[in-house]
Amino acid sequence: MSFRQKLLLLFAFTVLLCVVVISASVWSTMRSSFEGANEERANAIAAQFRSEFQRRGDEVVRKVEAAAATENVQRMALEVNRGASDSGSDVGEARNLAEQQHLDFLELVDHQGIILSSSQWQAKFGYPEPAIPAAIGSAGGFLKREELPNGSTLGLFAVRAVRIGEQPLYVIGGERLDQGFLSTLDIPTGTRVLLYQNLDEKWNAKSLLDLNGPAAGANKIAPLVEHVRRSGEETRDIIHWTADSADAESFDAIPLNGPNQHLLGVLLVGSSRRPLVELQKKVVSTALLVGGSGILVAVAASLWFAARVTRPVGSLAEAARRVAVGDLAAKVDIDSNDELGELASAFNRMTEDLVQQKERTLQAERVAAWRELGRRLAHELKNPLFPLQVTVENLVRAKEKSPQMFEEVFHEGTTTLLAEINNLKTIVGRFSEFAKMPQPQRKPTQVNEVVDSVLRVFQAQLQQKNQVKLRTELETDLPEIYADPDLLHRVLSNLVLNAIDAMPQGGEITVRTRSVPAAVELSVSDTGSGLTPEECERLFTPYYTTKQHGTGLGLAIVQSVVSDHGGKISVESAKDRGTTLRIELPRNEFPMQRHGDTAGRTGTL
Amino acid sequence: MMQAAPNALAIPPNEAPTEYWDSARILALLTDNLVEIDAADRPQPALASAWQSEMNGKRWQFTLRHGAKFHDGSAASAAAVAKILGELHSGWIVRGAGDSLTIESDSPMPSLLAELALPRNAILKRNPDGILIGTGPFRVAEFQPGRLLKLAANEESWAGRPFVDGIEIDLGRSLRDQAIAFELGKTDVIEAPPQAASNGGRLRTSLPVELMALVFPANSRAQDVRLRDALALAINRKPIQSGLLRGAGEPTAAILPNWMTGYSAVFPVQADVTRARTVLADSRQPALTLSYDPRDPQAQLIADRIALNAREAGITVQVSLSGTADFSLVRIVLPSPDPATSLREAARELGVPQPLIHGNAVDDLYAAERALLDGHTIIPLFHLPVGSAAGARAHAWEPARTGDWNIPDVWLEAP
Repeated sequence: MSFRQKLLLLFAFTVLLCVVVISASVWSTMRSSFEGANEERANAIAAQFRSEFQRRGDEVVRKVEAAAATENVQRMALEVNRGASDSGSDVGEARNLAEQQHLDFLELVDHQGIILSSSQWQAKFGYPEPAIPAAIGSAGGFLKREELPNGSTLGLFAVRAVRIGEQPLYVIGGERLDQGFLSTLDIPTGTRVLLYQNLDEKWNAKSLLDLNGPAAGANKIAPLVEHVRRSGEETRDIIHWTADSADAESFDAIPLNGPNQHLLGVLLVGSSRRPLVELQKKVVSTALLVGGSGILVAVAASLWFAARVTRPVGSLAEAARRVAVGDLAAKVDIDSNDELGELASAFNRMTEDLVQQKERTLQAERVAAWRELGRRLAHELKNPLFPLQVTVENLVRAKEKSPQMFEEVFHEGTTTLLAEINNLKTIVGRFSEFAKMPQPQRKPTQVNEVVDSVLRVFQAQLQQKNQVKLRTELETDLPEIYADPDLLHRVLSNLVLNAIDAMPQGGEITVRTRSVPAAVELSVSDTGSGLTPEECERLFTPYYTTKQHGTGLGLAIVQSVVSDHGGKISVESAKDRGTTLRIELPRNEFPMQRHGDTAGRTGTL
Repeated sequence: MMQAAPNALAIPPNEAPTEYWDSARILALLTDNLVEIDAADRPQPALASAWQSEMNGKRWQFTLRHGAKFHDGSAASAAAVAKILGELHSGWIVRGAGDSLTIESDSPMPSLLAELALPRNAILKRNPDGILIGTGPFRVAEFQPGRLLKLAANEESWAGRPFVDGIEIDLGRSLRDQAIAFELGKTDVIEAPPQAASNGGRLRTSLPVELMALVFPANSRAQDVRLRDALALAINRKPIQSGLLRGAGEPTAAILPNWMTGYSAVFPVQADVTRARTVLADSRQPALTLSYDPRDPQAQLIADRIALNAREAGITVQVSLSGTADFSLVRIVLPSPDPATSLREAARELGVPQPLIHGNAVDDLYAAERALLDGHTIIPLFHLPVGSAAGARAHAWEPARTGDWNIPDVWLEAP
């Protein structure tokens, strides 16, 4: 992965992280704000209903006061004080009053809390009204559970005392708190009101009423009601009716307590979350659009910025690559005063130093090479020269001391001289050949074919040396490479020849070819005595040889050819386990191989 | 003009008290019984002027009033009367010869006179048009079923011509409509609740001649006698009497009123909820359904109150008119001042076995009544009077203490 890609990824990740963090923060803030707004709205609605309750309670109070002010009630109050009121003598009075005042419930109760007349349960006269003690102090409306012949119900009640004399007569009246009551409430748009009549010990779905009677889906609201029943506190929750969150409703469950704080009902004010959810969706989609656009813009800016940042780095890298392949003339042209500018200046100074260093090195190497050449030449030439000198001296001595044997000595001497001169010519020819190493003439080459042609040449020689066996392991689908087949032929011949020389006592030569990433590998292994690490290290040094009669140029030539092809050569050897010489020849396209050529010439192996 | 509310003239009258009284009072205008029983349980001559019993009450001989005629002019002879009674009572052997009528039975008939005084034994026949023909002081002049009955004075009545020339009876009117008409002066005589007061009118109440009671049918879920006993103990009758009956009537635990027997106080009426709970002794009892007569304006409230009382004792009672009732709130007429006859009639109306009255002594009567009440399949609640009122221009308005009216004796001031 390039530096630019890494930088781009870093920028992109940073931008994404920022967008995510900001989005999460915005989402959290927005959600909090929305929930806050929703809560305020629910509070407002709940307050409105409390106010409505208060108003309805006040209405009941007015009606009860009106009933208390009637002549008949005043008369009954007087009779109560006189002790003239007989239990049940005015049984029907409450019903008449209730009808007059449009009240669902009305009872006339004496000072002992005994019902004198009941509109809702006429037969109940003479029985005690249990709510009286707690309700006496109520100035406004209050909730009360009302027992009826067919069961119980809830009512919004008020009580007023009519005092004529010492013993008051209580008028306690109310309105039924059921779906009919709910239908008379002023309900804001988007909200609805449910009433749970807490008349049973356990949750009863039928006690949850809406405007039309028992509410549908009551069991989904059961946990909320149960919570209020347990805690007695106002509770808020969201009820999800379907999988669509827009169908959910936010319910504010308001406990409705009687005068003794006993929970008599739960008023559930529900408001649809659809507007909120739709607004949230709109905000989220807008945020996603803006965020996405921001990310795209940020990525584009990152691309531009990364390109701007990495361009000098790229120039540096390119220059470094050129330097790496030997082009010490590579310069970095960065006109900036920042760290990159300093880096470029340092790089340029470094290349200049390298050029100078290289020149010095080359000069030293040339000197060393000439010295080595001189040494080798002296060494090579010294051997033939000594016999020449001895032969000539023998000829002279024979001429002077034994003329009769001169002919014979002359004949032997000239033969020796010719032989040594030929030897000298051979030595000179080899040096000439090394000096005249040709440039590779590349073309698509199948390495296996080269191997086959080489091995055919050696096949006859090896058949004479029965002790050396030749084995091949050639990959069948070996890709072609751009190479000079003649030079490769020479390289492989050298390697095979070396392998044969390494096994004077016989052994096995294995030639292998195979594909490796971006290259073709050619290796030649022998089962000879192997090389020491020092020998391996100096193996490719020109004129270095481990053989008694070698010139030390064979592997140098091999290395030169491999280098010219942009490949590399390595040696692997272990004492008494043989040696393997391994060559990797790149499969690069031709233009890339130009680099290889350059590298090969400059000896970067 | 007279107001009454029978839908039709039924003989014998329907079980509902209102219809009983309507029919009984109309029949009293149209015809006669052989005898009548006064409030002191004394037999009085009617169509029969004399009687005597023989064979230990198995044979009764009556002497019919001479010259009595039906409205169609035919003589109310012993043979004609015997034919009518014979058709009514297949178990009797009724013979008529001259002015003498004999009734025989296999068993003694100590209460035959009271039986013969019941409205259902009125001497009555129908003409081919179905019009009732009797021997009474009035005859049918016009009859529009369910709407109007016009009676005209019977000039040839054996008791003498009544003072008024005729009577118009509006049929099918409720008590409330009657009261309104009475207040507007559109009628002279009405039925009235015994506790009602009418402006300018004269309210007359009878002796308690009706019984309000709870009756458990044989298929009731209240099979456990403890449940019925507890329910009887739980009912507080006094507030019902004072509140719902507006003070009319008498709380009772007996079938027959005290004025008939003198011993009704023996049956205690005090409620005892604690004892009722003890009787139940935490036994699991079924919820009961109580029905009532929807035609009775007070019945529903009284039933509600009984349910309320029962709840105090731990008995669940649902007041309902639908479905099969486990017990019913009923009101029946005790039609005869003769206690034995009324007891039998009450048993018949309440659907319980006839009492076995072994003699004429009070003890025998008490034992029979006690036997009826044992097991609490009948829980008597109240003995109720009946009321009636006559307008200011009606004179000599003195209804009998048994609830019967004396219309033939009434005379009207000219308007």
